[in-house]
Amino acid sequence: MSKGIKIVSGAIVCEECKLRGDVTIGGGTIIHPSASIIAEAGPIIIGENCLIEEQTKIINKAPVGQIDNENVQELIIGSNNVFEVDCAIEAIKIGDNNVFESKSFVGNKVTITNGCIIGAGCRLTEEQTLKENTIIYGENCNMREGLDRPLPQTLQMDTLIRMLPNYHHLKKPNLVNNKKN
Amino acid sequence: MPLYEGIGTEKLTVVMDLGAAFTKLGFSGEFAPRHIIRSEVTLKGSNLTREIYSYVNGDDLYDLLVEFLHMIFFKYVLLSPKDKPVIIVESLLCPTIFRETLAKVLFSHYEIYSLLIVPSHLVSLAPLAINTALVVDVGYLETTVIPICHGLPVLHAWQALPLASQAINNKLRKHLHSCNIKISEVKQNIIDDIKVRCCFVTPQRRAIQFLKSNSQLNYCPDLQYPLGGTKIINVPGKIRETVAEFLFEEDNDHQCLSTMVLDSILKVNVDLRVKLAENILLTGGTVMLTGFKARFKEELYKQLNSSRYEKLKLSKFMFHSAPSKDNYTAWLGGAIYGATEVLGMKSITREYYFKESRLPDWPNMKDNSRIQ
Amino acid sequence: MSNYITGPDVVKYACSCGLLKPITRLYFCRHCLELRCGFCVCHEVDSNYCGKCCENLPSAEARLKKNRCGDCYDCPSCKQNLSKRAATVGPKNPEDPKATPRKVYYLLCLNCRWSSRDVGIPDQAAATGSWPERENVHAARLQEIIEMYKGIVLAEKQQKMEKDKKKQRRFMTFTDRTGITASMLRKRIGLPDIPHPLLKPKPKEPEEAVAKEEVEEFPEELLTKPINLNEITTLEQRLNLPEWQPTTVDKLFPIHKQVSVKRSQRCRACEHNVSKPEYSPTSIKFKIQLFAFYHIPEVRIFTVEPLRAGKQCELLLKFSNPTQHQTVITFLPLFPSEDSFASKEIKELVPDEEVPSREIVIEEKQPPSLPGSQPSSLLHTSLSRTPSITVKPRPIKQAITANVELPTSNFVLLPRDDAAEFDDSGDTHNIQDDTKLVVWRKSNKAVIRLNITPLENLNIGDEVVVGFTMQHIYVNTITAVESKEPQRYNNNVKVFQYLGKIVGSE
Repeated sequence: MSKGIKIVSGAIVCEECKLRGDVTIGGGTIIHPSASIIAEAGPIIIGENCLIEEQTKIINKAPVGQIDNENVQELIIGSNNVFEVDCAIEAIKIGDNNVFESKSFVGNKVTITNGCIIGAGCRLTEEQTLKENTIIYGENCNMREGLDRPLPQTLQMDTLIRMLPNYHHLKKPNLVNNKKN
Repeated sequence: MPLYEGIGTEKLTVVMDLGAAFTKLGFSGEFAPRHIIRSEVTLKGSNLTREIYSYVNGDDLYDLLVEFLHMIFFKYVLLSPKDKPVIIVESLLCPTIFRETLAKVLFSHYEIYSLLIVPSHLVSLAPLAINTALVVDVGYLETTVIPICHGLPVLHAWQALPLASQAINNKLRKHLHSCNIKISEVKQNIIDDIKVRCCFVTPQRRAIQFLKSNSQLNYCPDLQYPLGGTKIINVPGKIRETVAEFLFEEDNDHQCLSTMVLDSILKVNVDLRVKLAENILLTGGTVMLTGFKARFKEELYKQLNSSRYEKLKLSKFMFHSAPSKDNYTAWLGGAIYGATEVLGMKSITREYYFKESRLPDWPNMKDNSRIQ
Repeated sequence: MSNYITGPDVVKYACSCGLLKPITRLYFCRHCLELRCGFCVCHEVDSNYCGKCCENLPSAEARLKKNRCGDCYDCPSCKQNLSKRAATVGPKNPEDPKATPRKVYYLLCLNCRWSSRDVGIPDQAAATGSWPERENVHAARLQEIIEMYKGIVLAEKQQKMEKDKKKQRRFMTFTDRTGITASMLRKRIGLPDIPHPLLKPKPKEPEEAVAKEEVEEFPEELLTKPINLNEITTLEQRLNLPEWQPTTVDKLFPIHKQVSVKRSQRCRACEHNVSKPEYSPTSIKFKIQLFAFYHIPEVRIFTVEPLRAGKQCELLLKFSNPTQHQTVITFLPLFPSEDSFASKEIKELVPDEEVPSREIVIEEKQPPSLPGSQPSSLLHTSLSRTPSITVKPRPIKQAITANVELPTSNFVLLPRDDAAEFDDSGDTHNIQDDTKLVVWRKSNKAVIRLNITPLENLNIGDEVVVGFTMQHIYVNTITAVESKEPQRYNNNVKVFQYLGKIVGSE
């Protein structure tokens, strides 16, 4: 395991996933095999209880031509986010309770607040900050505002916490939950 | 036989209003159309979407209408057209080629039993239960004004100008192009959507201010319109507020929407002028633009002060609001007519059509001279 | 086969209406022995069904429900299906210790996550049925107006009828002579007067609409407040609810799902069905399917040599016979000079006899009336149907840009045998083929060689199109009942091949 990777106890991180650079993974977060998290331009910090499914690519990528060693940009991902199969995320910042559906793409000029849903196959690249509870859906990336945040996937997460260790090798957590401090 | 008519289930008759941009369809005796769809077809094979009104000649239009009506009958109306009556709501100024081709398609391709064509301006009054009014139809291609007096359209007083939705769309596209890059290929329905959701007609007082060079007024706030996630169209407040201004600006012939109405009133007998001015009905989808009606009224009063219309001696205008949305008032009129026995009395049957192989029409002397 | 779905269509057949279409888009009417296509057949609605719950709706019910499914809804925001979701909420009175949590239902769109809670529709206790419906606010007034117009027109009609009646009456009637009308007579005897059936009690005249000086006020806050696009409905969303056309998203209400129809196709010349689907919405099979693909030999382009203007080149075509009967294929020119365009050669063949071309009987097609040989029972069963109008076929507009050297000899195509594919015994046919024509043969397929010459005046990049009339023997099995022996016809089909573009010289 490379040096920069910090896994808080309680997280389930499969051995076959690809972690590069300075990555911090919060407690209760589940990372499936073959997901890749690449901290290229700066560290990536993932909050608690996120679900990161297969083929997900979370990349901290600086805008082209802006790689700046002095001003390191962190990618902070909040808690209770769901990254569905084969989504690619390069956002600036991600809040809590968001859902990134399958094959969605979020470019590196986009800031995601809380409770947003990026629909299956939607591509967001233009510079923008999504308001809370925004829902992007459909072929033309139509936008609407939801009433509430999407419900967390507790049932699914519980099952995965039980099942995944039975079938996969896990990376050992190397950080004690220091939330109390 | 007529004794038995009307007993049992009510007959459903298809009522269609084929507009240049949108087609309204539904059944007679109902209070709103079932569907409002774009008047366009996607051609099989090439996957090209074409508007019905983009025809190059009669044969082309025939094929377009066959495709379009097929979609209407089997996707929306869900009725075999064969041996059924059909009601078409149509402008009195509809091109002859369109009328004739539509009738040909309906009678010879779809083999309908009978066809009733009702003039849109006249039937627009049916939902109001009145028979004298000035009907201003602001549609997609053009605005037409026809006074209806005691249930008869006064045709010599008609006015028509291409000041309508299509012109607004073109203006909007042009203006947006100047402040956004790569917007020329944006589809028509996006332009329509920007117009409907972002733009409005500003009150007269502001419009006058904007025309002055030293105007201190600020335009309404700018707007970001997201387009497909990969692009954001910047819609400046100036465009939002003034894109429809040209409807009220007099052109080189000193004509605009308000003068059309007053010119039309001028051409009518003196006795009827006051009555028409106090019974104005605005129809067509474009009048639903936010602020349109308020501005329209202001403009009428403004024109009244000019020397051209002094002799009208009008002091007030009154407007009707139909028990419908403005874009389907004419359709609703057709549906009301269709619920009555007019269908059996006045419609053109298949036998008649194939005997004459043309439709009766008001500009045709053969149909005209009989009345006189 | 995938080529037929994705295109481009390189082989097209000329339908009897003059349109060129690939064989998969054509029907073959076995009664008129003509190709038909979607353009020239009469489409009819067969049955209504809901595409979501796959329930059949009888046509009367569909009409009553305005062609919409009573139970399924579409999302007003994105037009996808709405799903019913169950949720548990606390009991009505939490103080009661015995109360159990209730199950409630709401509607949710899985595409855009619109839910019935978004617009404040209360959750329902039952999964089906009880969703609130909305009425048109103008319904009562419009009903009055319709009644009024009905009354006016009826009165007008009656006046006209009475006028006609007076004109027609030539003989004195009893009442005329005595001056007593039937209704007077009834009164005199003491019977109650029966009102005239057409003279309904006059409906209340609705008041004329009153024009107002005021119009919709301009919303002043538009000028200063920025608008939130997410709160304003799109044009599509408005038009999906034509009756209400809401401008803000909080007035979007679920739409009853529009039902779909199954269609049957009927030949216009003989009124027989060429395609009729099975009634059940879940079935994708047909009761009648007269697709050309199962009756007319299929032509495919096997290979073609590079095309050069004015130079002869070789074209290999693969023919396959889809029927259970052996057929003979003969090549004829596209437009026979002596034969008029609309005519058709029909010749009953005596088995085992050569067809000398001079004996071919040319029979003119009789457009609207049925040929005498047709079983007329079909017309009587559907008395309500008026015979169809036959539209004059269009001339075929396709330009031919290459000459084809038509082979003088014909060739045999064996019947299709589904078992042959599993039979390893090899080809056992004993057919004496013209080796110049037939290159390859296996079961019901054969590849033949044609020499074509693109026209001299073509430039590089021009499309090369060749065409010929394919004459094949069609064995009609439906008439077998009457005449005991299947009738055999020479059927002519015009086939066009789009071979590609002219290339430059080597």
